[in-house]
Amino acid sequence: MQIPWRAAPRAALSSPLTLLVSAATTLLLSFVVAAAVMHSSASGSAAVVHQEGRLCEQSAHPVLDGEGFTAASAQRAVDVARAESGGRAVLPALYTAIVRPDYAGRATWARFGHREGATDHLTVLEGGGRDGLWVPESIARTAGVRLGDRGENGELPPVTAIYADLNDPVDPWWCSERTTVVRNPLVGDGEVASVIWLPSAESFQQLPERLAGSASLTLRFPADRVPQTVDEAEALLTGGEALLDRITAQVRDGRLTRGSYLAGPISAARQTAANVRSAILPLTLISLLVGLAGLGTVTVQWAQRRHTELRMLWCRGSGPLALGGRAVLELGLPLVLGGVLGLGAARALLPVYSPSSALEEGVTATAALAVLGVIAGSTLVVVLVATAHTHREFQSAPEAARSRARRVLAAVPWELATAALAWLAWRRLLASGLGTDQKLASLPRIDAAALAFPLLVVLTTALVAARLVRIALRLSHRADLWRAPAAQLALRRLAATAGPATGVLLVGALAIGTIAVGTSVANAQGAALTEKSGTFVGASSTVQVSVDMARGGVEMPAELRGTTTLVGVSSTALVVDPETFTDGAWLGGHDPARLTALLRGLTRTGDAAPAIRLGRTPEQGVRPPGLPTLDPRERLDSFPKLGTRGYVVARGSVPAVDQVGSWHLWSSRPLAELTAPLRAAGLHYTNVQDRTAVLDGLPFLMIEWTFGFVTAVGAVLAVVAATALLLAIEARRRQNAVSGALSARMGMRWRTLLGSHLVELGALALVAVAVGGTASAISTGFAVPELDPAPWLNPSPVLPDPLPLLLTTLGVAALVVAVAAWTALRTARAARVGELIRG
Amino acid sequence: MAEDGVLRATDVRVEYRTPGGTVTAVGGVSVTVPPSGVTVLAGPSGSGKSTMLRVLSLVERPTSGSVVLHGRETAGLSSRRRRRLRRTEIALVFQNPSDNLISHLSVGENLRAAAQAAGQPDRTEELLTRFGLPDVVRWRTPALSGGQQQRLAFACALARGASVVLADEPTSQLDARSADLVLETVSDLAGRGVPVVVASHDPRLVGLGTTVLSLRDGTVIA
Repeated sequence: MQIPWRAAPRAALSSPLTLLVSAATTLLLSFVVAAAVMHSSASGSAAVVHQEGRLCEQSAHPVLDGEGFTAASAQRAVDVARAESGGRAVLPALYTAIVRPDYAGRATWARFGHREGATDHLTVLEGGGRDGLWVPESIARTAGVRLGDRGENGELPPVTAIYADLNDPVDPWWCSERTTVVRNPLVGDGEVASVIWLPSAESFQQLPERLAGSASLTLRFPADRVPQTVDEAEALLTGGEALLDRITAQVRDGRLTRGSYLAGPISAARQTAANVRSAILPLTLISLLVGLAGLGTVTVQWAQRRHTELRMLWCRGSGPLALGGRAVLELGLPLVLGGVLGLGAARALLPVYSPSSALEEGVTATAALAVLGVIAGSTLVVVLVATAHTHREFQSAPEAARSRARRVLAAVPWELATAALAWLAWRRLLASGLGTDQKLASLPRIDAAALAFPLLVVLTTALVAARLVRIALRLSHRADLWRAPAAQLALRRLAATAGPATGVLLVGALAIGTIAVGTSVANAQGAALTEKSGTFVGASSTVQVSVDMARGGVEMPAELRGTTTLVGVSSTALVVDPETFTDGAWLGGHDPARLTALLRGLTRTGDAAPAIRLGRTPEQGVRPPGLPTLDPRERLDSFPKLGTRGYVVARGSVPAVDQVGSWHLWSSRPLAELTAPLRAAGLHYTNVQDRTAVLDGLPFLMIEWTFGFVTAVGAVLAVVAATALLLAIEARRRQNAVSGALSARMGMRWRTLLGSHLVELGALALVAVAVGGTASAISTGFAVPELDPAPWLNPSPVLPDPLPLLLTTLGVAALVVAVAAWTALRTARAARVGELIRG
Repeated sequence: MAEDGVLRATDVRVEYRTPGGTVTAVGGVSVTVPPSGVTVLAGPSGSGKSTMLRVLSLVERPTSGSVVLHGRETAGLSSRRRRRLRRTEIALVFQNPSDNLISHLSVGENLRAAAQAAGQPDRTEELLTRFGLPDVVRWRTPALSGGQQQRLAFACALARGASVVLADEPTSQLDARSADLVLETVSDLAGRGVPVVVASHDPRLVGLGTTVLSLRDGTVIA
């Protein structure tokens, strides 16, 4: 290798700025690409964890449920499971059928059971000895069972503890047994009974045949660690299925039923990762192209800076390709360094931009390969651009042909092309969008082209704005603003650097628009999930209670006052308490004071009960089952629980409360805070609903995660825009220094000079904010309702308040402008005019 | 003009298309560079002498006309072949002294790089002594004066073993003292039998010319 090429890496040190810019460019490029790879995988991991959170943890591993066993055969099945599990924890439970054990003549419904460790997860009310029966309080009270009693004429072990009945929400240790161990007082006798716990598996075997004749069993295999990635979940599922195969092959008695609750979440998580990947791919590619174009510009600047050396080498017989290689040797190391740093940054910042930090095995390697591809691509761009530049500069067509090609390129209306793409994306969005008429649990179809709609609108608007600004700057020589010298100076400077100015404007507007689109859509979907689940449940949490509470026979616990209201639910109507309704209900967009006033107005004076009709519900009087004739006097668009159809009537207007379908307590507090006081007061409840768990939010989360990444890419573009602005100032340092210092010598005040820089850069920033903000607001305004994954649930997603984002953007833009203007002013103030002129 | 010159240009025309129309930079100039001596293309700014020099150094293709190097017609050669000829046969010295050197390399490295480009052996010590720069081998080139840089440029040209050295206004960016050094160098080269072609309007350089072509508005006037 000849000396100029061999010394190229050393030559790079002569321009730290070029080194910094090339390293920063590949850093950002590699970050975006590596982050895209990792984000897709992390979204899959987050989807798995989200789904597992909705699952019972003990059911993550495939489970077995068995019926029709005898006590002995059930135990044999447990022994097989233990033998086959190969060290994996096995948690078996044995239950009798619901029987009527006799305790001194007072028979009761009960089920006997044994589950290892059960007594550690029960609340003891009396006694506590672990060598006898643990009887639930409900049975002890009903059958008058006391400590030391031995049922079935002494055939059963003595009662050594009385425990508090298990209620919803159950401790996670009980979740897989919930349907067996939680009593439901609302179903018929003998359908669901509390469990009397036996002290050991042996004691279960020793139960009289009449009690344990038909036993059931559950086999759970608690995982040491809940899977954090799709691969881990799949490994657990596959291993679990194989284990169940081995067990079921050996158990011949009874009927064993397999349960693989993780299969659905795995499939959903895979789908989520694929959806997110396809959705972020176009933006990643666009960012990649923008970045490579930026790298091309850096290479052209390098070629301009090294013009004399390249010309000399060319005159000495070096070809354009060799000179392109010279560029790579000088810029290559920063490119590699930037790539490595980008990969590191993507991994380190994963928790910031992704919903999970857990990556599947091999994803980091894939990201590293992608970064390698970026580095290779960047190297290729540097070679090609430098080669093309030197070829064009030294051995191709004369100047006129070059400028003609440039003029043609500049005249091509690229914005028309992007506008056409935006129109096509809009049509796709209307045609397919994200909405699905399937059940909510299914994931929406992701149409990457449709998702690109808001970004294409932002891109088109930014291109149009850049073109208009360019034309305006070309015509700006007609403007005479010398009465405001700072403005005139700013205008002339902008016109003199129209190329870089419109470039910064374009990237800035794109960055702001992308951030705004990302945050708007992500926040809108996040808020929509909250609002839809709140409206669906009616409150943060609800439980069904006995009609006694509506009759006034049972008081609501004092701790619940102020946060809870009693609501009667009929098929088409709600019976509400006007005084407390707003305390507990999920009001959505309703004003509490106005709603309370409206409900207070529903005072019954005649036969018909005044009611509020919702949406397009008919105006004429109706008589829903169990309610008096309703006289709709007011109208609301929507109402908690009912949505846009049905009636609302005041509790005072409904005399026959036991005719109402069911009564529920609605609370604005989390479920645990609603049920704890009820349990403490000994009040039975059932049919619990928790707003945070009632809907599977995965479809919403998927869109949130997709557009969260869009925001991250927007932030990267914002860094590019800010850096480009500062670099543009730095690149024309000498020019600024000369003009600023000379202007100051000629009598211009430094304040005016600073003002001119502030006006110049501030105008660019303001136009970028205005263009990016407006384009994103309009495009997301159209797109957000179409991106609703559950359009049949009210309310539709709405754009979040844009003010905080706008103020933050303006604040950051002001900071960047201030720093850039200060840099320019400092250059001028530090300049020595004589030296500058001499050159 | 001798017919057996190293370099012979015949009826060379160079035209540029500009927004204002076609501009003729060189209009039918013929010149033969003899195997020794100094050939001077003289004339005021804009006369076409630098353009003619670029054509003679195979850096620029003429719009029409013929350029023959060592009896070989170069007009129809591909860029690759023209590069090959430039690599081994032609040395070009630019007007600005620093443009002829690689600033991040030392004086010695510049000379070695020049020799390497043409596949010539390293004669650094000999050339530096010959050009009166014996103690600066490790210096970076920006540390040299303008005159020293320009002499080093001629040394590089010689290091490349070129059969003809072409220099474009080699004294125009130098003070009188530095320009004297360059004049000495050009005389020395010519004295050693290296054909030198110089484009200049410096009367002292023109005075060195064994062949002088005066150009004006792209044509030979004398």
